[in-house]
Amino acid sequence: MHRIKYALPFLLVGALAFLAVLSPGNAEPAMAQAGAASSSTDTRVTQNSATANSVTPNEVNEVAKELWCPLCNGVRLDACELKACEQMRDMIAEQLAEGWNKEQIKNYFIEQYGPQVLGAPPLEGFNWLAWILPFVALAAGGVFLWRTMQRMVASPPQEATIPKEETLPSVTDAYSRRLEEELKRYG
Amino acid sequence: MIFDIGHLILLTAMALTAFGIVTGYLGGRWRNTRLIQSSFNVVYVVAALVFTATVILWYGLLTDAFQLSYVWNHSERALSPFYKFSALWGGQAGSLLFWCMILSAYSAVVAYVNRDRHRALMPYVNAALLTTSLFFLVLLVFAADPFKRVGFVPPDGQGLNPLLQNFWMILHPVMLYLGYVGMAVPFAFAVAALLSKRLDNEWVRTVRRWTLIPWMFLSAGILMGSQWAYMELGWGGYWAWDPVENASFLPWLTGTAFLHSIIIQEQRGILKTWNIVLIWLTYFLVILGTFTTRSGIIESVHSFARSDVGPYFLVYLVLILLGFLWLLFDRLPLLRGEHSIDSFTSREAAFLANNWLFAGIAFATLWGTFFPMFSELLTGQRISVAAPFFNQVNGPLFLLLLLLMGVAPLLGWRHTSLSAFRKQFTFPILAGVAVGLLVFLFARSFYPIIGLAICAFVVATIVQEYVRGVIARRTTTGENALAAVAGLWRRNGRRYGGYIVHLGIVMIGVAVIGNEFYQQSLSVTLARGESAQIGRYELVYDGMISERKSNRIEYHALLNAYNLDSGRRVGVITPQRNIYDKTPDMPTSEVGLHVTPFEDVYVVLNGWESGGASATFTIYINPLTLWMWIGGVVLVLGTLIAAWPHPTQRRSEVVRSLAYATGDD
Repeated sequence: MHRIKYALPFLLVGALAFLAVLSPGNAEPAMAQAGAASSSTDTRVTQNSATANSVTPNEVNEVAKELWCPLCNGVRLDACELKACEQMRDMIAEQLAEGWNKEQIKNYFIEQYGPQVLGAPPLEGFNWLAWILPFVALAAGGVFLWRTMQRMVASPPQEATIPKEETLPSVTDAYSRRLEEELKRYG
Repeated sequence: MIFDIGHLILLTAMALTAFGIVTGYLGGRWRNTRLIQSSFNVVYVVAALVFTATVILWYGLLTDAFQLSYVWNHSERALSPFYKFSALWGGQAGSLLFWCMILSAYSAVVAYVNRDRHRALMPYVNAALLTTSLFFLVLLVFAADPFKRVGFVPPDGQGLNPLLQNFWMILHPVMLYLGYVGMAVPFAFAVAALLSKRLDNEWVRTVRRWTLIPWMFLSAGILMGSQWAYMELGWGGYWAWDPVENASFLPWLTGTAFLHSIIIQEQRGILKTWNIVLIWLTYFLVILGTFTTRSGIIESVHSFARSDVGPYFLVYLVLILLGFLWLLFDRLPLLRGEHSIDSFTSREAAFLANNWLFAGIAFATLWGTFFPMFSELLTGQRISVAAPFFNQVNGPLFLLLLLLMGVAPLLGWRHTSLSAFRKQFTFPILAGVAVGLLVFLFARSFYPIIGLAICAFVVATIVQEYVRGVIARRTTTGENALAAVAGLWRRNGRRYGGYIVHLGIVMIGVAVIGNEFYQQSLSVTLARGESAQIGRYELVYDGMISERKSNRIEYHALLNAYNLDSGRRVGVITPQRNIYDKTPDMPTSEVGLHVTPFEDVYVVLNGWESGGASATFTIYINPLTLWMWIGGVVLVLGTLIAAWPHPTQRRSEVVRSLAYATGDD
């Protein structure tokens, strides 16, 4: 029983970490946006979108960062070099100029291209499985491990009854010596 | 003519390999020395044959033999000899040949080093290694012939994929293959242990170093791949959780778990079944990884080449799965543990938790990688599973793993007493809390505070272990501190080298945290003379120059960088675009970098107008990235310290092999 109490700090730390980690607010990495173009604000945007004159590429990328190229796998829209993606970015610039917000633009692209433009499966239908299964597997493994260990800890130590393997005298000696040393150190 | 010989050599090697598998297996079973000797000979001869075939293909690449389909598709006259040489692994058939060559070289070294040792295991080890070779030779002969003819002699080749024409792209695949393929060796020993029913700790002890070295190459290969992505793909990051990146990462995860859990088997005689399963899983993931890379089953930026090798891989994967499971269940009664775990606060328990987390991360990564395929098959809906998914699922698990990395070495075997607990944990916890508070003062977001606090905690545990080790040595030997550290490495390299590896991992962790949470970016169009400001840097655009190279034109933009804090000019940053003659529609990017220990200023040239009168850039500040590469070097050094055989160990190995020589064989 008294040994359990040494495990408590671990459990506490583990539980805290998990709780904090699963809280939704923290999940999105906070991409800071600190700099600003000092003198480029009055120069033109290179793209040929006449309607989106006032929108800087910076603002476009702020949205594009959260979308993914629908044609290549795993490439973010702000970094994709395909013509199609360039057009998508122009589209974002126009929508921003018309006053759309980020969510509206994202929803528009999901409607147009499907959930593929999101970097992660949306939380609906079959896609729940993508999110749930890793944690279910982890929990199942954890429970299995915990119970196995509990069984092992509960059963009396077998050291005395089982003869040590003596196939390789020199090596096992070295190991058991080191083991003894460590036991002394920590015991 | 010479290329027909190349094809013939591969055919011969294939036939010989099949023969060697039979002699190895039967030789091991019947303990027939002549059969066993012939399995050794086959391993040596196959290595020589496959190497010769590779040399012939290299000859074809370097002499512009465009009548070969492979050379025609992956090389051109204007390519520099350096890239002609590396074009061997630039396409499918060549990279499979390269795979096979590394495997047969590994096999030959393993066979030669162990020719007088492990008498019961080696015939089966030969047979298992040759089985993998046979699979790749079958591929090379039937599905992806590197010596296939075009039918005429084209005047020039089509050129190497421009993305592959980068220094890191030369080293990265070599390292990755050395790591990937090397994992076949410990697996072969595991199979040999199962087949010979010698399931004590012998194979585990032998295999430790044979796992450590491939593991080192794999780690270095993954990091070099990140370096390549960072320099070449130009999206400001180094790891995109791309399916092919995951393919290299998965065996790394299970291999790392294996390296830790065999320590438990050596020390305590438990986890025997689990270890065999882990190394099988590693091997399986290696083959699966090669399959996903080479078959293009999951679309990705890396799938440069695909052809009809897919069905062969599928059949082989199923064979490995079924064959292994059958063998394992048949031998299960022989795999009982000798001891048990005494307490939850023991090092054994911490190692189990380590394995649990590694397996969990591997599962989540595998699941995420293949989920789009399942989704499309079952619901018809195409979705993408990319960084946001993997970061959210694996991020917390990695954080726990990092914590465990600090905790586990502080726990004693069997159990830890309360006083030892206090003695071991006080300083590291204080260090962790202090750094956590420090970060809290500067940036109040949750993840980085916890992450950096844990990093500090781990570093403190490592420092504490070293200080104690050094003090202990100095009191017994009276040597100075440096000599004492060297002594620790020499006498107990496994442990103290392992700590160095952990230190390298912490450095990589710090770099990841810095990039993930404190990255800044800015997209901007600048006319000549205009400037942009990001973080504490100001960049002034100074025009463009272009340069003609043998097979491409390079466009460099010049940006003068000033540090606003010190007011000094820190240098010129030159992001670059290359337009290749053969593939003008695929311009490649070379980012411009200003590297400091605190942050990288990372500039991508997106485009320009009127000959460079104005240009568009994406500028990133990537904090602490340098530590990722330093951490990689530290990790490699630590692994070498851990793998280096020291004098007493070598002596015991001789004793061991003598014990076998005079044993029951």
